[in-house]
Amino acid sequence: MDILQQFLIPFLDVELFLLVAAGTFAGIFIGAIPGLSVTMAVALLLPLTYSWEMLPALALMLGVYFGGVFGGSRAAILVNIPGAPSNVATSLDGYPLTQRGEARTALTLTTIFSFIGGLFGVIVLATAAPLVSTIAIQFGQIDYFLLAILGLLLIGSLSQGSVAKGIFAAGAGIILGLVGMDSIGGGTRFTFGSLQLMNGIDFVVAILGLFGMAEILYQLKTLNEKGQTITLKKMIVPPLRLVFKFLPLSLRVNVMGVLIGALPGAGGEIAALLSYDHAKRTVKKPNRPFGQGAYAGVIAPEAGNSSAIGGALIPLLTLGIPGDAVTAIFIGALFIHGLQPGPLLMEQSGDLFWVMVGSSVLANVFLLIFGLLIVSIFIRVVTVPKQILLPIIAVITVIGAYAMNNNMTDVYWLLGFGLVGFFMKVHNFSVAPLVLGLILGPLIDESFRRAYMAAQGTPEFLMGFVNSPISLILTLALVFTLFSQTTWYERFKRKLKER
Amino acid sequence: MKRNFKFGGTTLLVSFLLLTACNASSEEAGQDMSDYPEKDINGIIQWGEGGATDNISRTLAPLVEDELGASMVMQNIEGATGATGAQYVYDQPAEGYDLLFGAENPNLYQVLGISERDYLTDFEPITIIGQSYAGIVVREGSDFETLEDLIDYSVENPGDITMGTSGEGGLPHVASAMLQAELDTEFNQVPYDGDGPLATALLGNEIDATILAVSAAQEYVEAGDFRMLSVIHDERLDSTPDTPAITEKYPEFEQYLPWGPFQGVFAHTDTPDEIINELTQSFENAQEHEEFQETLENLGVHPLNINGEEAIEYLEQNRSTSSWMLYDAGAAENSPEEFDIPRVDQQ
Repeated sequence: MDILQQFLIPFLDVELFLLVAAGTFAGIFIGAIPGLSVTMAVALLLPLTYSWEMLPALALMLGVYFGGVFGGSRAAILVNIPGAPSNVATSLDGYPLTQRGEARTALTLTTIFSFIGGLFGVIVLATAAPLVSTIAIQFGQIDYFLLAILGLLLIGSLSQGSVAKGIFAAGAGIILGLVGMDSIGGGTRFTFGSLQLMNGIDFVVAILGLFGMAEILYQLKTLNEKGQTITLKKMIVPPLRLVFKFLPLSLRVNVMGVLIGALPGAGGEIAALLSYDHAKRTVKKPNRPFGQGAYAGVIAPEAGNSSAIGGALIPLLTLGIPGDAVTAIFIGALFIHGLQPGPLLMEQSGDLFWVMVGSSVLANVFLLIFGLLIVSIFIRVVTVPKQILLPIIAVITVIGAYAMNNNMTDVYWLLGFGLVGFFMKVHNFSVAPLVLGLILGPLIDESFRRAYMAAQGTPEFLMGFVNSPISLILTLALVFTLFSQTTWYERFKRKLKER
Repeated sequence: MKRNFKFGGTTLLVSFLLLTACNASSEEAGQDMSDYPEKDINGIIQWGEGGATDNISRTLAPLVEDELGASMVMQNIEGATGATGAQYVYDQPAEGYDLLFGAENPNLYQVLGISERDYLTDFEPITIIGQSYAGIVVREGSDFETLEDLIDYSVENPGDITMGTSGEGGLPHVASAMLQAELDTEFNQVPYDGDGPLATALLGNEIDATILAVSAAQEYVEAGDFRMLSVIHDERLDSTPDTPAITEKYPEFEQYLPWGPFQGVFAHTDTPDEIINELTQSFENAQEHEEFQETLENLGVHPLNINGEEAIEYLEQNRSTSSWMLYDAGAAENSPEEFDIPRVDQQ
């Protein structure tokens, strides 16, 4: 009964209830503004926790967290600018949907599936946290390496048009990801002695440039062409037919999202990308080809990144280890209030755990309500004339890039990536693989070297690919994915059918 | 890009003009230093949100505000193990309006070739807030029951024990160098991204041993996950009375102690003395608040609250130990001699 009582606290306490609501509401808008990240918003709230009681502060921060991750998809769908790295995949099919006048369907569908995903993550957190954290710990460096390589195979899924161009872009991304101080050897790469380059390139800035700035420049090119008038259908709830149709898909990617979210070295952005890929591989007859406005293409990444939140909270609450950048800030908040985030947290302050679970459930409920109600507000963005909309977005992205690290260099990167992205668009290179390379390059680099250093010699290192269940599964998945692209596999499949 | 630079040039010029204007006015005011502070003070935190340095700085700032009677605007400028933030503060006018809230890292920038900045030559310490202690940990159930087991095994089987570190110049890296220099140990060092990933790696059986801040390690010890073999200090800590101090078995470490990660506040070295004094006094008083002491205790930080000569001596000792240890272990890019850093035993 204690647990139920604690769980219900956020629902019954007026202050907590309103704070979660306010946090979710604010989070949706903050997340929707390109450049204002959830991490930044939660970090701004952190000082509040010094003077506030702990529970109200955590309730607010959790609301912002769930709302913010969800909000990022709004901008991705409406203006083709992902609000955060975890929304990159969403824009691939979300924006085409908007161009076809189906923005409302995309927005409402993603709301429903973000809600389901978020809730799924919280349920796993509440029921299976210790189990999931055990799996997360067993995830070794070699497994991160394998996961990242699997991620790299997404180039094929993410490049619209020429795969060769996609591989080129991903390669460029990996090289750009190498810039800066190497966290293993401490040496510097491509910094030319500049302290500013030592930080490397923040992939959030790259996304703002490649998607945001580049989109603005591209739109300028066609500013005087007469755009098609978009008719907007009126609806609050998406067609239930679609919700039921995609429920199995969303549950599959939810499982994936929770697990990836729980890994301390991988978060929502990788979960969303893998989810998109999963949808592309498993949805046999999409309403339209992926990349041109497939419903599954917006549902999967949003379902994946929402369930990753619950996942990220698991190592935080069971081990005191942050699952992503936002949960790292939660750790700071717990410390300030005299709690020691660590393996004993749940034992010593179990009430905290259940209040956080309760607040998270509540945040998801608000997310559903607000998400559906304010679609009508967001959707007006599409009807704003470009001459007004573009300058506003330009200013916001510049501010966002600067505010990330209070560093002017990031603004230069933003403008540089904007130009690069523009020319890539003009010449039909898709930019998503470049972002993929930027995200995965450092992960591949570090995990491979750590795994190799920790192994005593090459034979032991090679054994590492198969001698734990997780590594074995990942290796097999990798081999199968590669094999399935060969002609042998095609022939093999045909033979099977003939029998 | 060219246009950008032009644009950058113009802004630079404008801000330069503005700065000179500010300079002029503050020089007039400079006649009467009691006016300090007459505007907001920027506190630059060299590590990210939610970390120990951030928590300490942000809890201290409002208390200092009361003492100084001026607002403190705190921002995190992280990157390059804190060198970006340190450089930023160094580049601002030395008028006491930009303070660096830093950790131990700048003490090693020169020998590791990370940056030219250094606490002792480029900054004036306002206060050293406190320091933490390091503990050598293994997994519970590991064959190494005591520190001697670990040391003996690594001497006999060089490179067999995998030691997780937090990268160049981090706590485990320097401490391993210390063990290597004094006891001839040899570990297979694998760098991770900080304390969290290190604890994960040890829990997941990826590494055999690591060196963590005692407060961070203690949680896992109490939960029965880790075993702490020793604390790197010259006496047992009140918080972990059962864990032996390293000097109990190896008294040769005495000369390097106390040593450990620390947090402090720094101003540009050219800042006028009057301003330094004013700041020093305010920070000293602010740290006496009970509320702040509690925060330190929660974070497992041992309060020091030292300034002036005492702080400089502390910094020198820490820098000498860390830089020579790394150099002797072959892990430093530049020799400490190049920067006139004396050896510990020669002080």
